[in-house]
Amino acid sequence: MISFIGRSAIQKIITLFFVSIVSFLIIHLAPGEPGQVDPMNPKFTPEVVERFKKEFHLDKPLHVQYLYFYQNLLTGKTVSWKDNQPVLKKIWERFLNSLPLFIVGTILTWTLSFPVGIRSAIFRGRLYDRSATFLSYLLISIPGFFFAYILIILVVTHFHVPVIGMETFGIGDASVLHIFMDRIWHLILPSVLGATGGIAVLSRYVRSQMLEVEGQDYVRTARAKGLPTEQVYYKHALRNALLPFVTMFGLILPGLIGGSVIIESIFSWPGMGRMAYEAILARDYPVILTVNFASAVLVLAGTFISDLLYLVVDPRIRL
Amino acid sequence: MTTRRVLILAPVLLILVLLQSYFWVPTYEQQTRGNPERLDKYIIGSIGDASILNPILSADSASSNIEDMVFEGLIDRDEQLRFRGRLATSWDVYEEAFFYVNESFSIPGLGKASPQEVADYIKEAKKKGDETWPGLRDSLDSITEISVIPPRNFSVIRHEKDPNNGKKKKDIKISVAAAAGIKLVLNRVDQGLFQNLSLLLGNDYFESFQGEDYLRTEPRLGKEKLAAYADELLPAFEHNPTLMFHLRPGVKFHDGHLFDAYDVKFTYESIMNPKNLSPRIADYEPVKTVKVIDPLTIKIVYKRLYSPAIGTWGMGILPEHLLNEQALKKEALRLGKDSDTFSMRQSTFSRKPVGCGPFRFREWKSDQYIALDRFDDYWEGPPNYKGYIFRVIADLLTQEMEFYAGTIDSYSVQPHQVKRLEKDPRFQSFSGIAFGYTYIGYNIRRKPFDDPRIRRALGMAIDIDKILNYVLYGQGKRITGPFVKQTDYYNHNIEPIPYDPKGALALLEAAGWKRNKAGWLEKDGERLKFTLITNSGNDLRKAILAIAQDAWKQIGIDVRTDLLEWSVFIQERVNKADFDALILGWQMGIDPDLYQIWHSSQTNPYQLNFVGFKNHEADDLIIKIRQEYDHDQQAEYCHRLHEIIAEEQPYTFLYVGKWTAVLDKRIVIKKVDDAGNVRYEKIKPTKTGSYSFHFNRWIKLPEAPILLDEG
Amino acid sequence: MINMGEKGINQDFQFDEPLAPKRTRMQEFWVLLRQNRLAILGLIIFILFFCCALTGLFLTSGPDPLIDPALIRLQEKLRPPLAKPNLDSLRAEEVPYMGVYLMGTDDLGRDVFARMLQGAWVSLTVGFVAVGISVLIGIFMGGIAGYFGQHHIRVDHILLTCLLISGAGLVATKLFYSGAVLLFFGLGYIFYSFFTKKIPGKKAVTSWKGFLHKNAVSIDTLIMRIVDIMLCFPSFFLILTVVAILPASIYNIMIVIGLTSWMGATRFVRAEFLSLREQDFVAAVKALGVSNYRIIFRHMMPNALAPVLVSATIGIATAILTEAGLSFLGFGVPPPHATWGNILSDGKRFIFDAPWLTFIPGIAILIVVLSFNLFGEGLRDVLNPKLRERH
Repeated sequence: MISFIGRSAIQKIITLFFVSIVSFLIIHLAPGEPGQVDPMNPKFTPEVVERFKKEFHLDKPLHVQYLYFYQNLLTGKTVSWKDNQPVLKKIWERFLNSLPLFIVGTILTWTLSFPVGIRSAIFRGRLYDRSATFLSYLLISIPGFFFAYILIILVVTHFHVPVIGMETFGIGDASVLHIFMDRIWHLILPSVLGATGGIAVLSRYVRSQMLEVEGQDYVRTARAKGLPTEQVYYKHALRNALLPFVTMFGLILPGLIGGSVIIESIFSWPGMGRMAYEAILARDYPVILTVNFASAVLVLAGTFISDLLYLVVDPRIRL
Repeated sequence: MTTRRVLILAPVLLILVLLQSYFWVPTYEQQTRGNPERLDKYIIGSIGDASILNPILSADSASSNIEDMVFEGLIDRDEQLRFRGRLATSWDVYEEAFFYVNESFSIPGLGKASPQEVADYIKEAKKKGDETWPGLRDSLDSITEISVIPPRNFSVIRHEKDPNNGKKKKDIKISVAAAAGIKLVLNRVDQGLFQNLSLLLGNDYFESFQGEDYLRTEPRLGKEKLAAYADELLPAFEHNPTLMFHLRPGVKFHDGHLFDAYDVKFTYESIMNPKNLSPRIADYEPVKTVKVIDPLTIKIVYKRLYSPAIGTWGMGILPEHLLNEQALKKEALRLGKDSDTFSMRQSTFSRKPVGCGPFRFREWKSDQYIALDRFDDYWEGPPNYKGYIFRVIADLLTQEMEFYAGTIDSYSVQPHQVKRLEKDPRFQSFSGIAFGYTYIGYNIRRKPFDDPRIRRALGMAIDIDKILNYVLYGQGKRITGPFVKQTDYYNHNIEPIPYDPKGALALLEAAGWKRNKAGWLEKDGERLKFTLITNSGNDLRKAILAIAQDAWKQIGIDVRTDLLEWSVFIQERVNKADFDALILGWQMGIDPDLYQIWHSSQTNPYQLNFVGFKNHEADDLIIKIRQEYDHDQQAEYCHRLHEIIAEEQPYTFLYVGKWTAVLDKRIVIKKVDDAGNVRYEKIKPTKTGSYSFHFNRWIKLPEAPILLDEG
Repeated sequence: MINMGEKGINQDFQFDEPLAPKRTRMQEFWVLLRQNRLAILGLIIFILFFCCALTGLFLTSGPDPLIDPALIRLQEKLRPPLAKPNLDSLRAEEVPYMGVYLMGTDDLGRDVFARMLQGAWVSLTVGFVAVGISVLIGIFMGGIAGYFGQHHIRVDHILLTCLLISGAGLVATKLFYSGAVLLFFGLGYIFYSFFTKKIPGKKAVTSWKGFLHKNAVSIDTLIMRIVDIMLCFPSFFLILTVVAILPASIYNIMIVIGLTSWMGATRFVRAEFLSLREQDFVAAVKALGVSNYRIIFRHMMPNALAPVLVSATIGIATAILTEAGLSFLGFGVPPPHATWGNILSDGKRFIFDAPWLTFIPGIAILIVVLSFNLFGEGLRDVLNPKLRERH
C-alpha cells in the first residue's frame, strides 16, 4: 500500500514536470507581447517595449525564463503581467467565485443522474428509456451558448428578474437571507447549463453499469428467490453498480478549476474560466501557466485519489 | 423502499430549493422604477475590466474611464476643444532661447564680435525696428530680455561601446570649455527665431559654430564621434519653450490632503522613473526641468520645441504623500516585499486610487464592478450623482438586456441597436463624431502599391457610402485625412474619393493593368492579386473585409482575406511590415502631431508608419507642426499636410466613427443658479468626442421632465 | 426482462428460416441496429446531412458558383426567411438562385441558405478531419502500447533523444555552434550503435555501458505517461490557447482539435490489444510465423475497432460543438469560410433584429450533433458483445 502510494506520487511528480515544460513551451513559442504592452498605442515606443521585456525577463533564453517562472510560482511570488497583482491571490478570488457554480452543478449532476439512469436501466428499451436517452443526448448536443441565450431571453422576458452576474446588482443592503437566496437564483441557470452535459453522460453511465450488474448471478439469484423487482434493483444491483462511481469522485476534482469560458462570459460570472480566457487574450503568461499548472495538479491529484478509493472500496484489489 | 425514495426525493427537493429562490429576487421593476436610490447612481456597462488604476501606468480605455473620474489634470479641453484650466487656473507659454557666440564669425556690418557686442547689436536692432524683414521684425519684437552668459567649464563621463571590442564598454571623459552664450527670453514661442536672427547676424552664423573646438575627450576620439558629442553637448542654439502653470489654491485630494506644485513635480518624476515602466514616458521625454517656484506655481522647461507638450498636462495628478519613496517603502515592509524592487506598479494604490477628481474610489471587485462615490469637497462643487458604478458585463447581448431592464444607464451601443433604440420613447439618443478613423492601409514598399494611381483606384472601387449606410447604420462620416474632423486642423476643402468602379478601371489601365478574358486584371501576364488582412474580434472590420474583397473582385482583382488574432496580427504582420493591405483604425488625439505615424523616419520595423509612407514635404510639415505653438499657423501647415496625404492615398480613408449614446430620457442636466433656482436642461453633445462632458451636472429624475428647449 | 426486439428475431429464426446459414457479421450488426430506432434516426439524419454537405459543396464552390455564399448585397441585409428579393436594387447576377431568400439574409445581405450549405461541408470536414487525426494517432499509439508494450526503452535511447532534442532546440534558438555539436554527437552515437550491433560476439560489458543499456521504462508505460500528460491539460482551454496563438485557419483548428483528443482512442485500442494478444487466434497466427505487421493490421485491428468507432462518431459531434464554441469566442474558422458555428456567433448580435440568424444555424447544429450522438450510442449498444450475447 505504502509502496503504491510512493510510486504513484513519484510518477505524478514526473508527469507534472513534463506538463510544466510542455505548457511553458506552448505559451512561449507564441508571438505577442505581454499584456501591458499595446504595440499599436503610439505611447509605447520600441524603447518602452524593450524595457517591459527586460522587466519580465523576456530577453533571457527560454530555459532561464522557465526557471524564473517556476521558481516564482513555487515561492508564491508570481505576479500577473496585466495588473501586477499576485497571481495566486487572483486565482484564489476567482476560485471562490467558481466554487458555488461547481458545487451546485456537481450536486445537480449526481443527484439527477442516478434516478434517471437507474430507471432507464429498469425500463430498458421502453419509452421511458428511449425518451431519457433522447433527452440526454439533446442536452449534450445543443451548442452551450445558443442554449444559454435562449434561456436568458426566456427568463428575462417572462419573469422580469435578472439572471446575469453573481448577484442582483446593488442588492448589497438587503437582508442576509435575501442576499443568499438571490445568489442561489443567480446560480441556477449557469450551473444547470454547466451540468447538462454531465447529467447526460453520467446517467448513461449509470444505466450501463446497472445493465452490467443485472446480468450477474447474484442478481438472478435474488430475483429467483422471489424478491420484489424494486428491491432487487435498488438493493442488490445498485450497491455493486455504485462501485465505479466511488472512484469517480476523484475525477470531478479537475472540474474545480475548469469552469466554462463560454457560460461564464455570457453570464458575466467572474470565475476561473473567464479569467483564464482573458489571460489568453492579454497574453498574461503567468496567469495562463499557473492555471494550467494548478489544473494539472488537480487532475493528477484526482486520479491519485480515485486510485486510492478504488483500493479502499473494492476488496478484490489488493496490492 | 428507502433507497428509491431518497434517490427520487433528493433531486426533487434540490430543484424545489433552487427554484423557490426566484421569489426572493427583486424584479427589474423593483430595482429601477420602485427604487428611489437608483436615481442617484449612474451605472455604466463595459465589456472589459480595468487593469490598473494609476493614470501614469495604465494604457487601456477601461482604466482611463475610471481614472478620468478619480483623477484630475492641470488642464483639459472645453466644449470647443480649447484648453481650459482645471487644477491650474492659468498658464503662460513662452520661450527661453539660447545660442553660443561664434567669435570667429564676422557679422556683416560689425565684424568679429564679443558676446557683449553681439547682445548690444541685437538690442540695437530691436530698438531700430527695421522693416526690411518682417519675420525678423516680429521675432525681435517678441524678445523681452537679452543677457550674456559667461563661458563655463564642465566635464561629463560617458559609457561607450569599445569600437575594437563590441561587447566591452569603456568610459570616455569629455571636458567642455563652453564658449560664452546669449540668452534670449521671448514672450511667445517662435520656431523661426534663429532663422530670422541669421538674417541679422549673417547667414552662416549658427551653422559655422564649431562645437567640437570646445571639447576635449579622454581617450581621443575620431572626428565624427566628436562632432556627434558636440551636437549633443554644445548645440549652436537651443529653444527652451517654457510652461508656467499657476495652480488652483485649496484643492484637496480625496483623503483631505492639500494639492500643491510638489504633486505635479512628483507625477512628472514618477513617469520618468524607469522603475515604474510608465507607457507615457515618450510624452515627457522632451522636458528639461520641472521647477517648483512656489507651492502654487510650477515652471516646466523643455529641451526643444514640442508643441504637443501642453496637452500632456491633462494627465491625472498623483498624490505625492501616498506614493513617495517613504510611503512605498512602508508599504513594501507591510506587505513583506523587497523594498528595493517594490515600485508604484506593485503598490495597492493602483487598486484603490486617490486623486482629486469629482468621484472618490470606493470598491473594486474584479470583473464585477468598480464603485465610486462622489467627492463632496470637489473644487468645482460636488457632482449631482451620488455614485458612479462601472459594471463589467462581458457579453454584448446581455449588456443590451440589462440596459433594457434599466439596471445599467449606458453601454457602448452597437450601430444596429441604435436604430432600434431610437424609436423607443423611453430613450434619448445623440451622437457625434468620434476621434478614431478606420482605413485600409497599403504596403507602399510592395508592388503594385508603390503607384498612387493603384491606391486611388482601389479606394474608388469601394462604395464607402454604402458601408456607412448599411453596415454602420449611418453611425459614421466620410473622412479624407488623418486629422480629427471637428478640429480646425482638418482640411474640409478636400473632396472624398468618389465611388467609381469605371474610373478605377481606367486608372488601373493607365498603370498597365488590363482585364483578361476571365475578367481578372492582368499586367505582363500576371494577375493582380494580394491579401487583405485585419484582426479578429472586430465585427465592423470583418464586415469591411468581406465588402472590400467583394468590391475588388467586381473589378477583377483577386483578393484573399485573412483574419488574425490581435497579437499575431501586430507582431508578425504589422510590426514586420509583412502584409499587402490591411484594415485598421487609429484613435487620434486632438493634437495634430503625426510624427510617429507619418514621418519617413518611422518606417522601420516595430514603428508605426508601417505602410512605409515617405514624402519630403510631408516630413517637413510634420516637423513644423510639432514645433509650432501658434494655433492658426499650425492649422495652416496641417491643411497642406492633409492635402499631400489625400493626394498620395497611402491609406484609403474609410470613415470616422460616430459615438452614439442612448440614455434614459429621465437623465438631464441640472443647473442651480446663484439664487438657488433649479433648472433642467436636455443633454447636448459637445465636440469633445463624448457626450459626458457635463457629466458632473447630470441627474436622473423620477419622471421624464418636459424641457423648454427641447427640439 | 422483456424485450420487444428479442421476440422479433427469435420468431424469424424459428419459423421462417430455421435452417438458414449463420448470419454474417454485417447482417447481424444490421439486424441489431435496426431495433434501435433512435440510432436509425441518427443514421438517416447523418446521411441526409452528408448529402446536403456534398450538394452544398458543388453548388457553392468553384469560380462561378450557382449559389454564391460570399456575395454581398448590403441593401438586402437582414431579410427574413422566404423573403422575395427586391429586384430593383439588384444587378442580375445578384438575384438569389431560386428567386427567394430561403433562409433570409445576414447582416451583409449574404444569402443564409448558401452560407448554411457551404457551412455544412466545412463543419463536416472539421469534424471528420479532426476526428480522423485523433483516431489515427490513437490507433497508432494504442497499438504500439498494446502490442509492443513490454519492450523496453534503454537509458541510452532516452539520453540520445534528450541530446538530439536539445541540439535541435539550441539550433532553433540560434546557438548554431553548440547545437550542431550536440546533434553531431547524437548522430554519431546512432551510427556507433548500428556498428556495434552488426558485430555479435564482442560483448564488452563495462559498467557504464551496462548502465546505458539498462532498461529504463517500458514502451507501454511511456505511452501511457504521455497520455497522462495530455490529459492533464484542460482540453478546451488548451485548444483555445493554441488557436489564439496560431494564425486562425481552418486547418489549424482541425489539427488542434485532433491533437488534443486522441487520448481516449489510445486507451481503447490499447485495452483491446492487451486482451486480444492473449486470445487463441492471435497465438495461432503467431505460431504460423506471420509478421507483426500483418498480425496487427489483419487480425487484431478489425477486432479492436469497435470502441474506437463509437468514440469517433461521438467525437465528430464534439468537434463540431467545439468549433462552434471557438467561433463564439471569435477564434473559429475565419472568413470567407462559413461554418455553422460562425454563422451562429455572427448572428447572435442580431438576435432581436433577426432571430433566424441565430436559430437556423443553432438548430441545425443541434440536429446534426444529436444525430451523431444517437448513432454513436446505437453503435455502442450494437457493438457491445456483452449486450449482444443476450439476443
